[in-house]
Amino acid sequence: MRHFKTMLYPYLVWIGIMIVVPMLMIVMYAFTQKGNDVTTFRFTLENFAYFFSDAIFLDVLKRSLWIAILTTIVCILLGYPTAYFIANARPNWHMRLVLLVTIPTWINMLVRTYAWMGILQDDGIINSFLGLFGLEPIKMLHTSFAVVLGMVYNFLPFMILQIHTSLTKMDKSLLEAANDLGADRVQRFLRVTLPLSMPGVISGITLVFLPAVSSFFIPKLLGGGQFVLIGNVIESQFLTSGNWNFGSAISMIMAVIIMISMYITKKVDRNVDERGV
Amino acid sequence: MKRIFALMLGAALVLSGCSSSSSESGSEAESKYSSDTLKLYNWGEYMGENLISDFEDEFGVKVIVEYFDSNEMMYTKLQAGDAYDVLVPSDYMIERLMAEDMLMELDHSKIPNLSNLAENLTNLDYDPGNQYSVPYFWGSVGIVYNKNNVPLELLEEQGWNILKNTDYKGDVYIYDSERDSFMMAFKALGYSMNTEDEAEIQAAYEWLQELNDTMEPTYVTDEVIDNMMSGTKSLAVVYSGDAAVILDENPDMGFFMPMEGTNLWSDAMVIPANAENPELAHEFINYVLTYDASYGNSEYVGYASSNQEVLDAMTGEGGYYADNEAYLPRDGYEKDEIFKDNEVLKQKLAELWIKVKAAQ
Repeated sequence: MRHFKTMLYPYLVWIGIMIVVPMLMIVMYAFTQKGNDVTTFRFTLENFAYFFSDAIFLDVLKRSLWIAILTTIVCILLGYPTAYFIANARPNWHMRLVLLVTIPTWINMLVRTYAWMGILQDDGIINSFLGLFGLEPIKMLHTSFAVVLGMVYNFLPFMILQIHTSLTKMDKSLLEAANDLGADRVQRFLRVTLPLSMPGVISGITLVFLPAVSSFFIPKLLGGGQFVLIGNVIESQFLTSGNWNFGSAISMIMAVIIMISMYITKKVDRNVDERGV
Repeated sequence: MKRIFALMLGAALVLSGCSSSSSESGSEAESKYSSDTLKLYNWGEYMGENLISDFEDEFGVKVIVEYFDSNEMMYTKLQAGDAYDVLVPSDYMIERLMAEDMLMELDHSKIPNLSNLAENLTNLDYDPGNQYSVPYFWGSVGIVYNKNNVPLELLEEQGWNILKNTDYKGDVYIYDSERDSFMMAFKALGYSMNTEDEAEIQAAYEWLQELNDTMEPTYVTDEVIDNMMSGTKSLAVVYSGDAAVILDENPDMGFFMPMEGTNLWSDAMVIPANAENPELAHEFINYVLTYDASYGNSEYVGYASSNQEVLDAMTGEGGYYADNEAYLPRDGYEKDEIFKDNEVLKQKLAELWIKVKAAQ
């Protein structure tokens, strides 16, 4: 295998240019003052201090985490039964159902989110339908309901596919063994299926939580301009206020939070593994 | 000014028309200009339906159009080194581009139609004598109101402060832009919108915070056009041209320019210093100034034309926008102001604006 190693080099160069360098630049921006040029750097912790000293930013951070957690929970609640159903469907239906879950992701996320705007708005599809029965329109667009709905809709396939994969990989003979040993359906699910599918749930959580916590266009479109999440604050730092240093600092804070949450999920995962086997 | 809707960061739609029925052949066009392709970077929904195809047909060239939805987005792309032949930024952004030597000086001999310009646009503060820029559209910012729900007397009495009148709680659209929002706050408080006075900025910030806390406003950008056409809310802050389109569509709506003053702005065509085809760029600018092209633009988009004859035709008796109170911006009113480029102030306002919106 050794001579294959050289084939890795292009990839390493690619990673270096596309991932490592930009990351280093973000770190550099985050710890420096505005208006640096190549020769002078003035290091500072001001950007971080500004973030943590302002209650508004902390509120935004809390709100973003809360929305992301809510999205993740809803995704598990909807995704697990769906994945379970697909995994236990008849073989000839299996691939078709997986395809049904995947097809929406072939369409651009932005376009699908715009479609939701048309469905939810005050004179949109739902409210026009209610209007036929003489009902007053319900305000749905520009609420947190719309934002969570949009996120769940966009990220649910990730959850379903992950759980589905781990459910299909499961050794069915374990269930037969449990059955022989006298476990009923509920016990079989709780003590065999659920623990064995946890790795899928965990990676599903990672795949849903990460984009949900940093999404900026879903809150912008479905929540309206007044629904500000941390992704929107970062976006505004780069696009409107032009304060790249502060924007980078917030990005770094988010990166740290995400790393911590990944560490925790990994840890939970390991504990589950130990119990499960 | 920002009617782009379906486009966001990075999703620049590239639209290239076909030029099959050219009156000049491609090679002829190529020898006359350095290439037969023009790269235009404009606001979304800012051109008449046939502008590009007519230009292509007439000159036997191909136009590649990209759209931006804010001056800042355009500036960021320009700084990243993207080359365009014609841009259509706003006044304060042109001021900055000029200061940073990013524009090419125009050759007036190649733009004979400059004489068509409306007189009030030939000597704008940021570019006297149109050395670098040729106005495309101009307009103001005002309040679109539902005449059935909001009496005009109340608007006249309260001006911008009507947006803080709790009788209209939850019934207000505010334009999601730090410049326009702080403009109305500054004006409501009787300050200049180009102020650098810390106390005045703080007062405007508090004015907006109070609006945010008491009025349950909805912050929108271009959705405001469709939503006000269908009459979703009673009050909305809207650019004059967009307001003209709304009024055209929904007769219940009126347009009001508060007596405390507002922002008068203009968007103008410029040629960036790194343009690859400046010859053709001049040709395009000249073309936009023709009566037909400018009329098509103005009729379709609703903003005031920079061509005097088109303005006269639109607002004169029987003109398309003759009875539309939003089409023609108020001119020569002393409390109306033009934005000056001020990077420090703009950043400060952007910083405060995200905080206004984030507070819940």
